[in-house]
Amino acid sequence: MNHSRLAPISPRHLFSHAARFALAAFGLAAASIASAQLSPEKTELKFGFIKLTDCAPIVIAKEKGFFRDEGLSVEVIAQPNWKTLLDNVISGNLDGAHMLSGQPIAATIGVGTQAHIVTAFTMDLNGNGITVSNDIWESMQLEDIDLDTPEPMHPISANALRPVVDEYLSSGAKLQMGMVFPVSTHNYEIRYWLAAAGIHPGMYTATDIGGRTDAEVELSVTPPPMMPTVLEAGNIQGYCVGEPWNQQAVAKGIGVPVTTNYDIWKNNPEKVFGVSKAWADANPDTHVAVVKALIRAGKWLDAADADGTLINREEAVRILAQPNYVGADYDVIKNSMTGTFIFQKTDVREMPDFNVFFKYHATYPWYSDGIWFLTQMRRWGQITETKSADWYHETVKDIYLPDVYLAAAELLLEDGHIAKEDVPWDTDGYKPATDEFIDGNLFDARDPIAYINSFEIGNKDPI
Amino acid sequence: MKYKILKALDIAGLQVFDPVVRLCYGEEPKVQLQKIGQFIIIPIITFILFLIFWDYAGPRHTTKSGEVPTPAVVRDAAVGVLTFHERENIKGEDLLRSGPQRDAALAEVEARITELEPIAKTAAAELKETELAAREHLKSSTAEINALYRAKRLEFRDAAKERQTELKVLADKTIDGTEADRVTLLEAVAADRVQSAAETEEVQRLRDERSAIENAKYPPLIAARQTSNALEEELQFLRKRRDFLTGENRDLKITEVETKLAGLESDLASAADGAAALKIATSIQREQDNLATLGESTYSKPWTLPAQIDRSVRCVFVGFIVASLIAIPLGILCGLSRIFMAAITPLISLFKPVSPIVWLPIIFIIVGGFIPDPSDSALLDIFNAIPGLAGMDVNPAFIASALTVAMCSLWPTLVNTALGVASIDKDHLNVARVLRLGFFARLFKIVIPSALPLMFAGLRISLGVGWMVLIAAELLSSSEGIGKFVWDMFNNGSSQTFAQMFVVVFVVGAIGLLLDRIMIVLQRLVSFDGAPTAL
Repeated sequence: MNHSRLAPISPRHLFSHAARFALAAFGLAAASIASAQLSPEKTELKFGFIKLTDCAPIVIAKEKGFFRDEGLSVEVIAQPNWKTLLDNVISGNLDGAHMLSGQPIAATIGVGTQAHIVTAFTMDLNGNGITVSNDIWESMQLEDIDLDTPEPMHPISANALRPVVDEYLSSGAKLQMGMVFPVSTHNYEIRYWLAAAGIHPGMYTATDIGGRTDAEVELSVTPPPMMPTVLEAGNIQGYCVGEPWNQQAVAKGIGVPVTTNYDIWKNNPEKVFGVSKAWADANPDTHVAVVKALIRAGKWLDAADADGTLINREEAVRILAQPNYVGADYDVIKNSMTGTFIFQKTDVREMPDFNVFFKYHATYPWYSDGIWFLTQMRRWGQITETKSADWYHETVKDIYLPDVYLAAAELLLEDGHIAKEDVPWDTDGYKPATDEFIDGNLFDARDPIAYINSFEIGNKDPI
Repeated sequence: MKYKILKALDIAGLQVFDPVVRLCYGEEPKVQLQKIGQFIIIPIITFILFLIFWDYAGPRHTTKSGEVPTPAVVRDAAVGVLTFHERENIKGEDLLRSGPQRDAALAEVEARITELEPIAKTAAAELKETELAAREHLKSSTAEINALYRAKRLEFRDAAKERQTELKVLADKTIDGTEADRVTLLEAVAADRVQSAAETEEVQRLRDERSAIENAKYPPLIAARQTSNALEEELQFLRKRRDFLTGENRDLKITEVETKLAGLESDLASAADGAAALKIATSIQREQDNLATLGESTYSKPWTLPAQIDRSVRCVFVGFIVASLIAIPLGILCGLSRIFMAAITPLISLFKPVSPIVWLPIIFIIVGGFIPDPSDSALLDIFNAIPGLAGMDVNPAFIASALTVAMCSLWPTLVNTALGVASIDKDHLNVARVLRLGFFARLFKIVIPSALPLMFAGLRISLGVGWMVLIAAELLSSSEGIGKFVWDMFNNGSSQTFAQMFVVVFVVGAIGLLLDRIMIVLQRLVSFDGAPTAL
């Protein structure tokens, strides 16, 4: 990584063009030199993942031989929950892992376990859903007659949940909902969804690390694969989780997905590939090699024919359905991965962008993604004190490593594995401002403080 | 001969087969047959009855997660688990195959792929059709009830609104109205409540009816899925094999790098200037490194159940040995000295009932302290160098699981050893005193031999406890083994999950039984008084 940081982007960029011409000119001998530019410091690697379909880039890079092409021998190991996964990356039991976007950020700034974790690769966009139990869905339907059809209008807001919440409150209880980790995308998404309808999901404070202060709906942590079981047991009445655990609830008839995170925030960043800073510093070439393989896997997953049909997804699902990977039934994983989502048995919808692994420059480690998570951590009080806008910009630059990504992308471009337009070469790392949220609120990563202050529910910061 | 066999059976704790041997030698056939009936036939019949009951009752108990699998389904799941194991092994072999062996395997794979592809295609097409048919079926079968339901809901909504208006009128009347008006209002409100409840009930009934139709299974779809999935899975496996026999094959890759190296070397000989020569030389070095890593590379196989069982058994023995090394000396000291016994009794009583689930995190933290960097740890290297643990990938989770086993299983051995030592025949000790035996001579000639039977009884219980504890420890620590298998399969939440749990029940039970038998044999071997052991 150090060597890649030395050179600014544009001259290297020029060099890559020169190298391409050189390749054409010198033929095979030159090619063999170019393809062996990396000498990975460590070739036997262990990567962790959680049983979710969005671990696909790691699994595909292994199964399609992309890691082997980089001279890496990779073992992919299922982890029981996000906490253990993070601990294993910190302790060195794992070299890297499929992580929640919030995990490297939270670990680095010391929300929860403190350790410097970095990421150079975003694994996917979207891919989560919010599921409620049959009983809650029934109450919502009885409340709002427009929801009570075989194919109700989407997106479904949490407004119809309001009376249910009130009913629970009046009986001295609180509606319980599950999410997968305190700094997970799911936590922020379900909070966003509830708060957009004026339902208070609770604040984190210095003394309340459960995030339940002032809560009208209480959120608790459950590992993804356990969600359907816990919902069925009645400990929680709804949850926000990644696939296949929403489709599993439909398949088993124990719950109804009411919305997806695509409706909450269109094309939101979801998982990243995280490694510890110490590991990244000790193994710069290995890191680039791993990112190379992952980019190829992302590209493979999103490969489409002329009609836009995703051509490799069926094979990917077949691989993911193996018991050592996601292991759920092929038919359950297939739904969301091939672009259909079952809300109810009678309500099957096409959602071609439910899982995005490469399109829209999805794999690039955008600074603006990191800033969104930081603003949510501040909004809900996980970051306990006011921070300056500069702090947001600087923090995220310690965590997201576009230089590593670009180094990998350049090598792939030279080898012809990706096209020039696949990578945002000249970006400053900030996506354009967007208001594609369920509440239409505008997010501009360049101005995090204004964004934090734009919410009705949540902490406010002085400008 | 006969008595030798009988003795062997006796020592092995297999006395149930005693009458079979005697029958073979023609000894009192009637008595033997009666015994065989009692001790062999009846247990077998009971087991068969159990299977029949299970087969009958299982499918009748359905939950949302599925139904309790029948013995046949469990057998299929076991076959599935083994198939996965075999396929992973074959893949690993394929990657390393070379020469004519590789060609033969490749030809075989290609032939099978050509054979299967058209069949799989037809099955997939059929599945797609069935899926469409199923969706249509669902739509048509629920259309009527959906329409009815919608109509009812709209009707009830309008009715409720109307009643509200009426109530409003009545309520308005009560202002400046008579007592009778107020009574009418109260009655109307009560009637409205009753009416609403009745309507909700009606809606509820229709919902239930609808969900019963929606949840009804569509057997052709299940069958089509099974057929298609089985074919596609095999194809997937074969295609992976093909990759491993061609593009990804180690031997081919090595040849490729060697060719490249040869090319680079000739380039080096004809390099134009120093800079170019240096560049080529660097590349040569890289390719040589590459060759070295390639030469050692193998398929990083996922853990499969048979391998996990192997690791679990080794893990339990590591824990058991550690437990014995602690428990036996302590037990002997306790038995020899009343003061020592009094001193540590509170500790024993305090720690004995603690659950493995509590020990594990504590031990995990302690072990983690000794192994700051698992990829470069002298302690782990030592463990990995122990002959029985080679290739077991000993990691902190393994050690923590083994120590948890030790922590939970040392108590029976400790207590039994203490008891055994304390209850030595006083005459023996007196003889030792008369002979003026030294401490160690007394220990090894008198104390330990007389305490052995009880000590082994304790060890046997310890091993049983350890085996039970291990599954929980592995499950919590994510140490590869049967416990991790259980957790992973449970988390998969697939249609196979339930059946796989049953497979584990039988595997764990059978291995526990085997371990117990081994301990019985040892126990019999050290019991010179031929004391009977519980079965």
